[in-house]
Amino acid sequence: MARARGDIELAGISKSYDGATYAVDGVNLRIPDGAYCCFLGPSGCGKTTILRMIAGHEDPTSGEILIGGEDVVGLPPVERRTAMMFQSYALFPHLTVRENIAFALRVRGLSKADRLRSADAMVEKVRLTELAGRLPGQLSGGQQQRVALARAAITEPRVLLLDEPLSALDEQLRVQMRQELRRMQRELGITFIHVTHTQLEAVALADLVVVMEKGRIKQAASAREIYSAPQDRYVAEFMGGQNVLAGNVQSLDGATAMITASELPAFEMPLGAGSRVKSGDAIDIAVRRDDVELRRPDGWVAPAGRAALPRRVLAVEYQGNFVKVMLDAVGQDEFVAYVPERQFFAQPFTVGDVVVATWKAEHTRLLV
Amino acid sequence: MTDTALFAAAARPRTRAIAPSRGRRPWTFYALATVFVAYVIALYGPMVCIYILSFQDVKGGLVFPMKGLSLHWFIDLFTQARTGDVKGSFSRSIKLAAMVTVITVVVSFISGLAFRRRFWGDTVIFYLMIGSLVVPGLVLGIGTGLLFTALGWEASWYTSALGAQLSWTLPFGVLVMFAVMSRFDQAWEEAARDLGASPWQTIHMVIVPILAPGLVAVGLFGFTLSYDEFSRTLQTAGSLNTLPLEIWSMTLNVTSPALYALGTVTTIVSFLAIGACLAVIFVMQRRRAGSAPAH
Amino acid sequence: MLPAKLRRNLVSWLYISPLLLVILPFFLLPILVVVVASVFETDGFGGIIPTFTLDNYAGILSSSLTLNLYYSTIKFTFLTWLFSLILGFLIAYFLAFHVRNKLLGIGLFLLCTVPFWTSNVIRMISWIPLLGKEGLINRGLMGVGIVQQPIEALLYSDLAVVIAYVHQLTIFMIVPIFNSMARIDKRVVEAAVDAGASRFDIMRLIIIPLSKSGIALGSIFVIAIVMGDFFVVKVMSGGGSASVVGAFYEDIGVLQYPPAAASAVLLTVVLMAVIGVILRTVNIRKELTQ
Repeated sequence: MARARGDIELAGISKSYDGATYAVDGVNLRIPDGAYCCFLGPSGCGKTTILRMIAGHEDPTSGEILIGGEDVVGLPPVERRTAMMFQSYALFPHLTVRENIAFALRVRGLSKADRLRSADAMVEKVRLTELAGRLPGQLSGGQQQRVALARAAITEPRVLLLDEPLSALDEQLRVQMRQELRRMQRELGITFIHVTHTQLEAVALADLVVVMEKGRIKQAASAREIYSAPQDRYVAEFMGGQNVLAGNVQSLDGATAMITASELPAFEMPLGAGSRVKSGDAIDIAVRRDDVELRRPDGWVAPAGRAALPRRVLAVEYQGNFVKVMLDAVGQDEFVAYVPERQFFAQPFTVGDVVVATWKAEHTRLLV
Repeated sequence: MTDTALFAAAARPRTRAIAPSRGRRPWTFYALATVFVAYVIALYGPMVCIYILSFQDVKGGLVFPMKGLSLHWFIDLFTQARTGDVKGSFSRSIKLAAMVTVITVVVSFISGLAFRRRFWGDTVIFYLMIGSLVVPGLVLGIGTGLLFTALGWEASWYTSALGAQLSWTLPFGVLVMFAVMSRFDQAWEEAARDLGASPWQTIHMVIVPILAPGLVAVGLFGFTLSYDEFSRTLQTAGSLNTLPLEIWSMTLNVTSPALYALGTVTTIVSFLAIGACLAVIFVMQRRRAGSAPAH
Repeated sequence: MLPAKLRRNLVSWLYISPLLLVILPFFLLPILVVVVASVFETDGFGGIIPTFTLDNYAGILSSSLTLNLYYSTIKFTFLTWLFSLILGFLIAYFLAFHVRNKLLGIGLFLLCTVPFWTSNVIRMISWIPLLGKEGLINRGLMGVGIVQQPIEALLYSDLAVVIAYVHQLTIFMIVPIFNSMARIDKRVVEAAVDAGASRFDIMRLIIIPLSKSGIALGSIFVIAIVMGDFFVVKVMSGGGSASVVGAFYEDIGVLQYPPAAASAVLLTVVLMAVIGVILRTVNIRKELTQ
C-alpha cells in the first residue's frame, strides 16, 4: 500500500476572530510531501494560527486546506492524520514518559500490553529508554521535547506540526535539538511544518521557508533563495545580514541599469531576465553585508562594475570570526559591513575613519 | 567599577535590614513571629482546654481544675436522652455532609469547566453565586422554609436542608475551582484532542487526574462546611436535627461537660476528614513529584 | 460563524445548568419569597394573608429598637472586621515574606487553617473555661494579684463577642491576603529597598496595593458572616446584646413571618450595599480566574 500523501495545499485561507481584522489573510501555499517547511515571522504575524488551522484546532473563516488532495476543513485532528507538538510541549504531568507516549493508543482502545509494546519501541527511537518510567516534571527541557516528539509520532501522522518547538530550550540545547528534529524528519519521512520567529532556526532546518507578515505570505522559497534573493525590503530586513537602501533607476540601457541612492554615486548593474523596472522608478536595493568591502579613500577610484559609497565609521563591534563595522546611515537606512576578522586586524579601522564601502555591482539586488 | 560598586556596597546592608526575604533577619521578623505564635496559641488553646475538660469524671464542671479522669461524659452523650438525640443527629449530619460533598465536587467541577471561557450571561451567574454566598444564612433559611410551606412540601434535612446547604457550599466550591483551574494549561486539553481523545476521554483521562488534588480540596470544603452548617439549616431541617442544631440546643440547656465531650467527638470527625484529604493530596503530589506545567 | 458561537454558548449553559438548578430554587426563589412575604399581612398565628401592605416596613423603620439593633450589629461588624484585618494582614505578611523555607511556610499556613475545618460552635464555647468567672484568665490574674475580684466582663459581654468573632473569622482574612501576597514578586520589594524606600514606603506603595484584592475578598467574607450571624452574639453576650438577625429570629419564634421578612430584606439590602462598595474597588472575578 502506498504511504498516505502528506502534501499540503492552502487555498485562499483566511481567519478572522472579530469579523473585521484578519489574523490570516488569503494565504495560498503548496507544501510538497516529505518537506521540512518553516513558517517564519514576528509574533502576531499569523503563523501559529495557520499551524492550528492545519492541525484542526481552529477552523478557517474561509478557504480550503487540502492534505493529500482532500479537503480536511471541519475534520478532527485524528482524521486529518496530523499530529501537533505544542509550544512548551503540553506533556501530561500525571503520566509517565511511557504512558504519555502511549496516550494516543490508549484512547484508541488498544490493550495495555499492545500499547506499551509500541510505546517502548518509540521510547527507544528517541533514546529515552532509561527514563521511560519518569514523570515529565522530572525531565530536562531537551528530554521533554523528545517525549513530545515521540508522543506525536506514535500516531503515524502524515504531517507533523511543531509550534515553536525550540523556544523553551537554552541556546546550546537548541542547536542540538535542531539536528535531532531534522534526523527524526528524515527517519519518519513525513512532512514537518515548524513555526518559529528565529531566522537561524528556519534557515538551518527548512527545505521551504515561508516568511510572513501581518497575516500574509511575503515570500516562500528555499532558505538559500530567501537569504540571497529576498523579494522585498521586509524580507531582506527580517532575514538580516543585508543593507537595504532606498534608491531609484536613473536610466536603462538594455540589460543594464544605472542605479543611485542618496549619497551613493550612480553605478551600472546588470538586470536579471524579466526585470520590469523602468527609468525613473523608485526602488529598494539590497547588498549583503559580507559582500561589502571597506577601503581607505587615499586616491582609490572604483573600477567599472563596482559600486562605491564614501562613509565614516560610526562604531566597530567584534563578533568573533568577523568584525561588524557600522557606517553612517545612508538617508534613513543603516549601513553595515562584515569584515573578515584577519583582514580587519591587518589594518584596523577606528571610529571616525573615512572609508569607501564598495561591492561588485552584480551583487546588488533590486527589491520590488 | 567605582561609582556603582560604592553605591552597591552602601546599599547592601540596608537591603539586609529591610527586605524580609533575604539577608539578616530584621527586628520586624521577631515582632511578627511573636504575633504569629500568640495567634496560634489563641487559636488552639481554648479548643485544647475543652478537649481536656471533656475527659473529667461524673463530678466534672465547665471550668478548670479537672475533676477526675474518665470517659463518663462520652458515654453519657450517646446514652442519655436528656442530652438530646446526639446519635441520630450525628448520623444525619454525616449522611448529609456526604451527599453535599459528592454534589459539590461534581457540580463545582462541571461549573469550573464552563467558567473557563466567557459565555452569554456568565457575569449574571457569577454575581448570583456571590449573592448566594454572602446573603445572611437565616434569611435564605426562612425563604426556603416559607417556599416549602407555600408549595405544601414538608421540610426535611435531606431535601430543603440539603438544598440550603448547597446554596452555600457550591459557590464556595466553584470559587475554589477557579483557583484550581487557573493552573490548568489549555494545551493539555488540545494535546489530548490532537491525539484522538473524545471529549469524554479528555475529561476522565486528562482533566480529572490533573485536577484531582484540587477536587479533593473542594470535597473537603464541601464536607466541613456542611458538617458545621448552622444558620441555613436552622429553618430548613424540618423536625429532625442535624448535629450543629443539636449542639445549639445543648448550649442553651446543657451545663455539663457532655457539651465538651460532643465538641471533642465532632473535632475528631473533622480531623479524620482533614487528615484523609491531606493524605490523599500528599500521595498524589508525591507521585508526580516535581511535576509542574512546563512554563 | 454564528452557529459555532451559538453552539459554544449552549455547551457552556449545559455545563452551568447543574449549578443553576441549585442557585435558582435555593437562593433566588427563597429571596423572592422573603421579599413577597415582607409586603403581606400577618394573621398573628404564623399565617400570611396575601394583601399588599407596607406596614411591616413602616413598623421597622419607625421603631427606635431598629436603630439600636443596627447600631449594635454594625459595631460588632466593624470591630471584628478591624481586628481580623490587622491580625490577618500581619500573619499573612509574616508567612508570605518572613518565612523563607517554602515547606515550613506551607506547614504554618496549614496550622492556621486547620481550625477552620472544625465546628465553629465548639470553637466558640471553648472560650467558656477560659473567660468565665472562674475561668483560667481570671484565676491567673487573681493568682498574680493584678485583680482581687474576678472580672465578670470577660465572658458574656461585648468583649467576649468580639473575641469569639475574631477567633472564628481571622482565617477568612489570612487565606485571601496570603494568596495575593504570595503572588508578589519578592524582587519587587528588593528593588524598592535598593531604590531607597523605607519600610513604611514599601508597605504603603507595594504590599498594600498589591494585596488589595485579598483584603477585599477577606472583608466581604468577614462582613457578610458577622452581619448575618446571631448565634455568637446571643451566646457570648449572655443575652445582653442583640443583633438584627437575632431580632428577626425571635419574630420567627413567635410566627411573625412578614415583619421578620421585612427586617430580613432590609438587612440584605444594607449588606449588599456594603459589599457592592467593596466590589467596586476590585474586580474579584478577574483576580480569581487569572
